[in-house]
Amino acid sequence: MIADAPNTFSTADLGARTYRFLADVLGQRQTLRERPLPGLAHALVFWGFVAFGLYTTVEYLKGLGIVDLTHTRWFAAYRILLTPFAIGVLVGIVGLALRRAVIRPVGLGQTVSIESLVIAGFIATLMITFLLAWRLDEASLAGQVNWWVHALVILAFLALIPASKHFHLVLSPVTVFLKSPELGNVPNLDFEKEQVGLEAVKDLGSKTVLDAFTCVECGRCQVNCPAWGAGKALNPKTLILQTQDALLARKPDTKLVDLYSDEVLWQCTTCGACENQCPVGIEHLPLIIGARRGLVSNGEAPDYLGGVYNHLERRGNIWGLGSDQRQKFVHASGLETFDPRVHDVLVWLGCAGAFEADFQRSLRALFDILRGRGVKFGVLAKERCTGDSAKRTGNEYLFQELAHQNIEDLRAAGPKTIVASCPHCVKTIGNDYRKFGYEVEIVHSAAFVEALTRGDQSVAGNPRERVTYHDPCYLGRYAGTFDEPRALLTRFGAEVTEPTRNRDNPYCCGAGGGLLFADKDEEPGSRISDVRFRQLQETGAGTIVTACPFCTIMLKGAQSSAAAVGGAGEIQFVDLMTFANGRLSKVG
Amino acid sequence: MNIAVCIKQVPTRDWQPRVNDGGTWIRDRDVTFETNEPDAYALEEALRLKEKHGGSVVACSVGPERVAQVLREALARGADRAIHVEHASVEASDAFVIAGALAAAVRDERFDLVLTGLQSDDQGFAQTGVVLAERLGFAHATIIMEVQIESSTVRVKRELEGGWFQWVAMPLPAVLTIQSGINHLRYATLKGIMAAKKKEIRKVAMPAGLAARQHIVRLYAPQKVKRTELITGSPAEAAKTLVTRLRETARVI
Repeated sequence: MIADAPNTFSTADLGARTYRFLADVLGQRQTLRERPLPGLAHALVFWGFVAFGLYTTVEYLKGLGIVDLTHTRWFAAYRILLTPFAIGVLVGIVGLALRRAVIRPVGLGQTVSIESLVIAGFIATLMITFLLAWRLDEASLAGQVNWWVHALVILAFLALIPASKHFHLVLSPVTVFLKSPELGNVPNLDFEKEQVGLEAVKDLGSKTVLDAFTCVECGRCQVNCPAWGAGKALNPKTLILQTQDALLARKPDTKLVDLYSDEVLWQCTTCGACENQCPVGIEHLPLIIGARRGLVSNGEAPDYLGGVYNHLERRGNIWGLGSDQRQKFVHASGLETFDPRVHDVLVWLGCAGAFEADFQRSLRALFDILRGRGVKFGVLAKERCTGDSAKRTGNEYLFQELAHQNIEDLRAAGPKTIVASCPHCVKTIGNDYRKFGYEVEIVHSAAFVEALTRGDQSVAGNPRERVTYHDPCYLGRYAGTFDEPRALLTRFGAEVTEPTRNRDNPYCCGAGGGLLFADKDEEPGSRISDVRFRQLQETGAGTIVTACPFCTIMLKGAQSSAAAVGGAGEIQFVDLMTFANGRLSKVG
Repeated sequence: MNIAVCIKQVPTRDWQPRVNDGGTWIRDRDVTFETNEPDAYALEEALRLKEKHGGSVVACSVGPERVAQVLREALARGADRAIHVEHASVEASDAFVIAGALAAAVRDERFDLVLTGLQSDDQGFAQTGVVLAERLGFAHATIIMEVQIESSTVRVKRELEGGWFQWVAMPLPAVLTIQSGINHLRYATLKGIMAAKKKEIRKVAMPAGLAARQHIVRLYAPQKVKRTELITGSPAEAAKTLVTRLRETARVI
């Protein structure tokens, strides 16, 4: 199946891949990270398996009559060393079986998997027989029975592996190694080769096929998915299992939209939680965005995106406004056109910065801070949307059009460093433009200003203002910028109360993946933004600090919905730059 | 249902207009162009009628080499083929010349419907469609908000002033000038863009003997003038004059 699929394997950036392999496979980092106790149980079993590899080989060499190494001195020492591992595996597997059969967490599904319990029984038997062998005389009947039970269970286990999710024992090390080092990496389409995206099962790439058979159904993707969390139809785990079923059913012409459903494919915010939390290296975004591309290429995008695409095509921004609006802002803010001989950095305004009043306030705060520190900056004479919305919704042609035009202008302007206040612009210019050969350092304003003001005396007021900080997915999870905003807030007099789901695993505001525009069409009560607003509200902080224009729009929308039913409370929204600048002004 | 859609290429709205040296038209050297907005709606309406009733959609445009861009866009959105009437000095042409050129290009093709946008975003004469109908000898209706085909006739909803509408029926073939916002525009799909590369754009020459009857004498940006008027008289009289001024001169109440 993998050989039949279009090849999407890549081993680019070996260093990052090797590091991830060591950390996630040998170190069990991803398994431990979110669920420390079950993760530890799993790690004990895994390390036991690795330790036992040689033991099993030696016993089989003896059993098959090839060579008997069991009486050598090193083997005796090896057996002694294995004993703590065996106890570890036993403790781990009993714990995992209890979790699955008695505790039954939601991510593991509705029914108890009998197969999993059989496997657990096998593993326990193997360990018990190994430990019993210390007590039993090898030549006695009991000893012989014990040895044969051990050997036969191994054979049964080996036979069961390929037909079950325990195939991950074999596949996951490979899958983890082949997972892209860049989160949410959806390679560009090559129009010369008439690539239009994924339409049917036969279009699924080799990595996606490998992913489908590697899945261990642990449900981390599911419980972290904001769409699933808000009660929507999308469940990333189901998506992978449906792929597996479709591949096994050998129906290559099945349309992906029929397999997953249109509704599900358009509910993903591309927040990256599923892919980022997966312990076995599965990449969900190439599948979801790939299937969206297949739909968009045939004119089957949702209606709300049709308007956005026309705005982007005709006006170069998602709002469909004329560029004179941006000119007005540029003029009123006294911005200069970037010149590498004069300016240190280029500030990228972005769609929101150029056209959205709330976010313009944030940008003016950034300008104030930069001017106050003597940073010389300029802007492009003309900007188009980076194409983020087009890229994440699968309109690859439009994305590439916008990207090429922007890259041409950026190359002509020649900045070494770009500062942007929109995390989506940071991801698109920093990661997606790189694939067209455009390399530039792009920094979110949170990180740039944090570094700029690092030497400042803390301006803690008394008492400190209690705020909560919402990590934008494209900043915290994608860019790994989550310490800097907190450092800034603390430096400028805030006490940060953390919400549930934060830092590199935030709960999405619901705007990403083009869903900013779908808000009105959504069923009330199941909005991702409502869920997130409640989580932020529960911190009890009077101020919500954000660092992304789209998060602000979504969460403010959720606040008005909550206010309509009297549950919004007295909460104000402040952008991170506005907050920092406000405190600087007070001090200055 | 074979439909021709007449499309004009106009400067993008983003472009800051600059007047040419003669002061008669814009300086179009550094202009980027796009499809005239009402024409985009006309194309969309044609594509929807084709999807409903079958037939074909042919995009037509008059102008220099650059108008091939808007024709390609129309083909990418689903037009079957295109006709490009090659005309170098489009800025010196009036609606009479353009309509004459379009009429010559579409006359022999026996279209059931010819759609144009209500007017162009740059000159805004709103005449091309009307003159074209006259030249073709077709019935016509303007400012169309809805189109219903009933075998050999067409029923259309026209927009009148002040929020009024009017339904009109007429025999086919007919020319309709379409109002913006009549439908939701589709976007150009990747498959459509790929397919457009293989579609035909037939080039035809300008017919002879067409001369503009209208000439632009002067083009200028509106001048800002400050005018202050002190209304005198008794308070009652002054208030009365003020209300009249606000209603009739300033038109704000």
